[in-house]
Amino acid sequence: MKTAATVKKNRSRRSLSKTDRFTLTAFVGIPTILQIILLWVPAAVTIILSFTYWNGIKLEDIRWAGVQNYKNIFVNNPLFYQALKNNGIWLAFFIVVATPLGIILAYQIDRGIRGHAIYESIYYLPVVLSLAVIGIIWNFMLQPGGFVQGLMGLDIGNAISIYGNSKINTWVILGIASWRHIGYIMLLYLSGLKSVDPALKEAAAIDGATEWQIFRKIILPTMQPVNIIIVVITLIESLRAFDLVYIIYGSPTIFPLLNLLVFQNFAGQGISMKGAAYAVILLVLCIVPIITYLRINFKEDLK
Amino acid sequence: MSEEKNMVSRRSVLKGAAIGGAGLAAGGALSAGTASSASAAGADVHWTTRGGGATGDAIAKAVNDAFTAKTGVKVIAQQVNSDDFQNNFAQIMQGSPDDAFGWMAGYRSNHFGEAGLLADVTAQNKALSKSLPASAIQAATNPVDKKQYIIPTTYYPWALHYRKSMVKKIGMNPESINTWDDLIKLMTLTKKKGLVGYSLGAKGGWEAMGTFDILNARVNGYKYHIDLLNGRAKWTDAKTKETFKYFAKLIPFMNTNFMDISWDGMRDLLLQKKTGAMLMGSWFANDFKAKSQADYDDLWVVPFPKINPKFGIDTIDAPLDGISVAANGKNVAGGKALAQFWGSKEGIDAAVAAGDTSIYVSKDFDTSGYDSFNKQKLAVLASAKNIMFFLDRDTRGDFAGPVVGPAIQNFLKNPKDINKILENTQAQWEALPKN
Repeated sequence: MKTAATVKKNRSRRSLSKTDRFTLTAFVGIPTILQIILLWVPAAVTIILSFTYWNGIKLEDIRWAGVQNYKNIFVNNPLFYQALKNNGIWLAFFIVVATPLGIILAYQIDRGIRGHAIYESIYYLPVVLSLAVIGIIWNFMLQPGGFVQGLMGLDIGNAISIYGNSKINTWVILGIASWRHIGYIMLLYLSGLKSVDPALKEAAAIDGATEWQIFRKIILPTMQPVNIIIVVITLIESLRAFDLVYIIYGSPTIFPLLNLLVFQNFAGQGISMKGAAYAVILLVLCIVPIITYLRINFKEDLK
Repeated sequence: MSEEKNMVSRRSVLKGAAIGGAGLAAGGALSAGTASSASAAGADVHWTTRGGGATGDAIAKAVNDAFTAKTGVKVIAQQVNSDDFQNNFAQIMQGSPDDAFGWMAGYRSNHFGEAGLLADVTAQNKALSKSLPASAIQAATNPVDKKQYIIPTTYYPWALHYRKSMVKKIGMNPESINTWDDLIKLMTLTKKKGLVGYSLGAKGGWEAMGTFDILNARVNGYKYHIDLLNGRAKWTDAKTKETFKYFAKLIPFMNTNFMDISWDGMRDLLLQKKTGAMLMGSWFANDFKAKSQADYDDLWVVPFPKINPKFGIDTIDAPLDGISVAANGKNVAGGKALAQFWGSKEGIDAAVAAGDTSIYVSKDFDTSGYDSFNKQKLAVLASAKNIMFFLDRDTRGDFAGPVVGPAIQNFLKNPKDINKILENTQAQWEALPKN
């Protein structure tokens, strides 16, 4: 008995290890190599380039710049701080307003309120549009000579300044971005909610828990994996914001964002390695909070 | 005289060389490989049409076909999106670029020429020097290495545009808007009617550079302006501040939503009779014609009025375009020949016949059929002694867009902060890597 079992075990291990090795190499190795070539190497090169002066043309023209690019960004450049502020407001707004709104919507729809299917499709609709298309739509609505200005009877000469008005444009842009983000979060959360066992909610309700208590003590903890995804997505979406604003403004200077500054200084006519430095700053800003957050969460999981 | 004669002989020599080359190429085709190096001029030439839609393609086809008819060399053309081509220019030129294409004079050709991406076309300009004005050749010459990386072809004036009917209505003579006071009066009277006095767009960050250029040239002169853009004068100088004082005087007459509109919004303001005056490149005039002949006939252009009597109206922004040849193209010699053809009388005639409305710098360019607006454009160009190319072609690319553009936008938003803005602009210039 004993020997037969060992033989069987051995045989199965041996026969698995051959295919395993192959599948492992193919399914882990190839993506890893691609990842390293297409992502990590360029990232490393960008980090190195951010410490140089170069106009992107001839390799022999590269000159060592030390931290000068960073110094120029931090010391002399008002655009950087405006961009940092705009990205910061974007992130805060998404965390405090847009993402919770999406979660609440998902929760309400999951409860099966009347007409939930209609609400679901209404909120989901913007998600199928790319941010570039959303930019085109809202530009058409609000720009001078646009649809809304026309409805108010304003021609180009006396149209209300919206995108160019620094007092309100942040909130207009965030409103447009949230229009899509809320639906996105709602959809993600809804798919998670569908997998929560209704018996849990019922049991809590029988024990006398309020709606809010059920949401906080039952739903949120059981949804932990989805929550992680949502936090990471909210972080990344806020920090990498680019296309919407680029489509609306066409240039990075009226509503600067870090990504727009990367683009302005790294592509096209104004190319300098200040763009690489911006990219590195953005990378650090993205990676540090995400890694910290994930580590905390996985530690809890291990416990 | 003797120099001119020299040119002629030089030209005929070149012509002979071209014919000889073509002959050799034909021979090469018969006995393959015998004259492979000499047959380079006979190989296909690749041409990039930089935007322009159907008209752009038609013009390119007309000129390239005429070139083929003359030399027997086939031209393969493709049209690209102008902005994409511009933004990826360095990458395209380092890959396998087309041999010749329309490009821009000033920093944009000199910079890439110095980097070895554009071929030296000094010889071609010399061959064309009978028809090209000396000033155009001078403008196409890189001040650093004295080489020419572009064959100058067309240009257009950035000047003051208005509608004759509107100026008449406020009781002024549209033919005599000459002084700063005239301009102020025009703007004041227009504004009184509830319209915009001076329309400006600043959304893209570059449109308002035109107003800064001309004000600086009027207040401080051409030399100071070019010195400023090349670091030989300071942004913090009292002279620069004086320019912005005049700029600030225009702000009360502007549309309040200048940060929301770009050049097309400015054009529409004038098209819809909503603005008194507008400083812009004359390229938009075709849109007036497209709307109606009456709108086009109503359009007028004059030099920006004089401010400092010392300089009068001696300077104008007139971006010069031309043809450049890729140094890394497969057929550099063919590209040079094609580029030269585009700058020659035959090339210009073919382009004009195909619907090209640009103003050519060439003396061979026939303007006898010009309408009054186009004749006025020529007069405006002729009134200036010094030609600027526009701020983003007169200074380095990592300074114009990323630094000066936002500085002017910030000034328009908060004119009182001008000292701080100029200090910052100067600091950012000094922080640039020195070449």
